Amino acid sequence: MQDKQFMRETLFEGAEAFKAGRMNRRSFLTLCAMAGVASSAVMVGDAEAAANEIVMWNWGGQSEECHGNAIGKPFEEATGMPLRFDTSGPLQGKIREMVDSGNVTADVCDGDLFDAIALGPSGHLEAIDYDVVDKAKTLPNYAVEHGVSIILYGYAFVYDTEAYGDTPPNSWADFFDTAKFPGKRSLYKWANGSLEAALMADGVSKDELYPLDMDRALAKLVAMKDDSLYWGSGSEAHSMVVNGEVSMGMVWQNRGRNIEIDTDDRYKLVMNEALAMPGAYIVPKGNPAGREAIMKFIATAQDPAAQLQLLECLGMTPSNPEAFAMIPEDQQPYAITSAMNIDNVAFNDPVWWGENGGDAVNAFLEAIS
Amino acid sequence: MIDSLRKHVSPGWVLVAPFLMLVVVLYLGPILNILWLSLTDPEPGLQNYQKLYTNDTLLRIIWTTFRICLITTIISVAFGYSIAYAMVHAHKKRQKLMLTLLLVSFWISILVRTFSWLMLLGHNGLLNNALETLNIISEPVAFVRNELGVLIGMVHYMVPYAVLPLLVNMQTLDTRVMSASRNLGATGSQTFFRIYLPLTKPGIVAACLLVFILSLGFYVTPAILGGGKVLMVAEYISVQLLVTLKWGTAAMLAALMLFGVLALLYIMSKFMKLSTVFGGSTS
Amino acid sequence: MVGGNNAQGSLQLKKLQKKFGSFVAVDDVDLEIQQGEFLTLLGPSGSGKTTLLMMIAGFLDITSGDIELDGLSIANVPAEKRNFGMVFQGYALFPHMTVRENISYALDVRKRPKAEISARVDEMLDLVQLHEFGERKPGQLSGGQQQRVALARALCFAPPVLLLDEPLGALDKKLRVEVQEQLKDIHRRVGTTFVYVTHDQEEALSMSDRIVIMQDGAIEQVGTPQELYEKPETKFAASFLGKSNFLNLKDGLHALRPEKIDIHPAGQGDVTARATGTIRSITYFGSVQKFMVSVEGDEELEVDVDSWRNRYPLKEGQAVDLTWEDRATVKLRNG
Ligand SMILES: Nc1ncnc2c1ncn2[C@@H]1O[C@H](COP(=O)(O)OP(=O)(O)OP(=O)(O)O)[C@@H](O)[C@H]1O
Ligand SMILES: [Mg+2]
Repeated sequence: MQDKQFMRETLFEGAEAFKAGRMNRRSFLTLCAMAGVASSAVMVGDAEAAANEIVMWNWGGQSEECHGNAIGKPFEEATGMPLRFDTSGPLQGKIREMVDSGNVTADVCDGDLFDAIALGPSGHLEAIDYDVVDKAKTLPNYAVEHGVSIILYGYAFVYDTEAYGDTPPNSWADFFDTAKFPGKRSLYKWANGSLEAALMADGVSKDELYPLDMDRALAKLVAMKDDSLYWGSGSEAHSMVVNGEVSMGMVWQNRGRNIEIDTDDRYKLVMNEALAMPGAYIVPKGNPAGREAIMKFIATAQDPAAQLQLLECLGMTPSNPEAFAMIPEDQQPYAITSAMNIDNVAFNDPVWWGENGGDAVNAFLEAIS
Repeated sequence: MIDSLRKHVSPGWVLVAPFLMLVVVLYLGPILNILWLSLTDPEPGLQNYQKLYTNDTLLRIIWTTFRICLITTIISVAFGYSIAYAMVHAHKKRQKLMLTLLLVSFWISILVRTFSWLMLLGHNGLLNNALETLNIISEPVAFVRNELGVLIGMVHYMVPYAVLPLLVNMQTLDTRVMSASRNLGATGSQTFFRIYLPLTKPGIVAACLLVFILSLGFYVTPAILGGGKVLMVAEYISVQLLVTLKWGTAAMLAALMLFGVLALLYIMSKFMKLSTVFGGSTS
Repeated sequence: MVGGNNAQGSLQLKKLQKKFGSFVAVDDVDLEIQQGEFLTLLGPSGSGKTTLLMMIAGFLDITSGDIELDGLSIANVPAEKRNFGMVFQGYALFPHMTVRENISYALDVRKRPKAEISARVDEMLDLVQLHEFGERKPGQLSGGQQQRVALARALCFAPPVLLLDEPLGALDKKLRVEVQEQLKDIHRRVGTTFVYVTHDQEEALSMSDRIVIMQDGAIEQVGTPQELYEKPETKFAASFLGKSNFLNLKDGLHALRPEKIDIHPAGQGDVTARATGTIRSITYFGSVQKFMVSVEGDEELEVDVDSWRNRYPLKEGQAVDLTWEDRATVKLRNG
């Protein structure tokens, strides 16, 4: 479903740049044409793994450059192995299919930690070698048998200051209160974040979210369904907000900063009760570069300097506690683990999601469609 | 032995046999695989198919899909019919231009179209802005991010597909038959409804089948223009494959769509010779 | 009258012209067509016959001139209001309708009562002798049967004028002759004005009350078959309808039909020879024998003689005298 995510994002960014006057008409049209031509090429996957290089499977876009600079460069200097990318998006189904087919072409997936729980027991992933990778260099629950969290991202929301400037919303309860804060809302389409937000809005403490009370969460979501839109990609979330389609929108927190900048602070990000998601490195079983090399690569990514560089470049928050204190001041309002946010955010339970995610997504889709 | 084979098997079959085998392997293989998966994942049995009875969501998604595809088909074929009619009756030069434009539209990627619609009809889109500036509306109209948006996007994509079979059909009609009708005293609309429309029925049926079957596979357009609330079978299958890892459910739905289409063709064949629909002679 | 049309069926074409761009397809045609007449438009391919017929039917606009029905202009009446029957080249039957539905169409669209339609269709099926084929589709009929359905369909609403564009063109020779008889018979019975297009001269001669010979969009000559055969006015008319020899005499060009020449062995003629020559070839056609005779000045004359009445045993290479009566030659206009 997200085969074309990269093109989608590229186009969206282009469209926004075009609207904001940062791109002229001709280059936007060229971009459109290229997207039309290139979307099929992108699906094929842009890298084939070989033993003397590391292939990272991710979603492309900026993260290619950022991961390249932050982790790829130091790793290549240390080992001589370059980092390359397959940007077709490491969804669980694709990882499973790749391993089942016996033709594994990726060494590490930039995925979610719950993917490690879902795919690990069925033998689709390599176990993390915690002699090489350091459990202490991530949050306590975020180093599991088949995956380790490198960065955190989060589900937060932005609101329109022109609509709610006087009494700004500050919690998911406000977000779901369309009587007090009239207007449209946008939520994530594949359930995670949306379910937790609904429960927090309904009064569940942020530390007692799991196991999720699905019925309660869905009831809350359905109550607001008529006022809700649902997005499937970060750029879609972004455009729903900046185009004025919604007056409050759930976004990935790193997007929140871009939105504030793009709209000259008309939209403000609320980090209170944001749901922290452990982004993780997971390794498909039988990766071409071998287990030893990839574990070294993962260890490189735990380095605070690399993580801070990712923060600067992508807005992804370090998961290594050593780095928390080093988060620069201008990033602190947006970073999940900065001193000002870390006690106010909720933390995702990858085990619950890994075990129940499939059913949760289906129940969620059932409720919103 | 070889000789007797030669007597009974025409040499043409021998020539095409390798390709035929290839086609069988390439087409039948995946289909059998899907059937197999739908009966064995996560465990052997019919439980994937039982979900059709026990799971209201699946039925609702199938119904949504069917409804949207049907409406898309009707509107696309209606538009396609008018366009094909205009093309057939235009001057030669203009006809070429129209055909070129039609074919060019096949090259525009579905993503580009979908986002163009967002820019045109979105909350802050060209149309809403224009209408607001002209004081025709005070609040933006929700053209997209709902079922209407999905229909607009799908119809736009499907119209050229509807035109082609109709165009072929209309071009082969004997125009003297229409003259004969007028000569016998029929008005323009009588001629259209009694002669032209029945004679273009094979084209209409072909266009409907083509558009309907292609529509069944849509998911980019519904996903984006539907605002996440219009869930169609193709997108649901893709979620089950990629996100929730319920491959059995996905395979069951894929098999269901396949057999649905085959059943549709079978029912059509009861009513008319399919060969006339797919370009055979009309008499 | 079933067609609900009180027209008598006489047509007047006045200085009728049709141009396609700068090309003149029909050129200043003046013609009176009598009520109930069987009039044939005869001419080679491309001479403008179909174009003229289509203007009468109303499918082609007139460039200049006028068409009148019983003295009233119909130039601005659309095709569907003219109430003219038409049998198209290739018939143009409705392939999705049965024979009955084809025939009843004109009455259906006029919303006639069911009983009347049914009776009239039966009458038509009798007329064209297709009663047992009523429920068939056109695709299941032979060419001759289709032709008759087209005729019945065009006559069903009793039009004052029936236009036929080479209705027998697709039939084989034997069937043609048969259907010619039937057509002629039907014409006699319905009394409708027939305007009939053909490029087959025998068909024109045997069926028509009058024939219009056309060339290059213009009328060459109009007359009864006899008039045209016996008194052709132009070289084209003389050669297109029947065969003719041409003689360049002092007062101009004359036509001389081959069967009007008598042939004798040299010196045996009982009248003074009009021409002398030698037989170049003899062809035997059963009832007639054709002699090609070389006469002075490189010319060749064709002589047709009744086999039965030929008194002489003539051989190729033999010297002969040719004779004819004065009234046998016709002086031509534009010789
Ligand atoms: N639509 C048209 N545009 C241009 N020229 C035309 C058109 N229709 C006919 N013509 C020309 O007009 C002339 C007369 O055509 P018409 O069809 O009347 O001939 P016809 O006598 O019926 O010939 P045939 O015996 O072959 O049917 C021809 O030279 C033809 O090429
Ligand atoms: Mg003709």
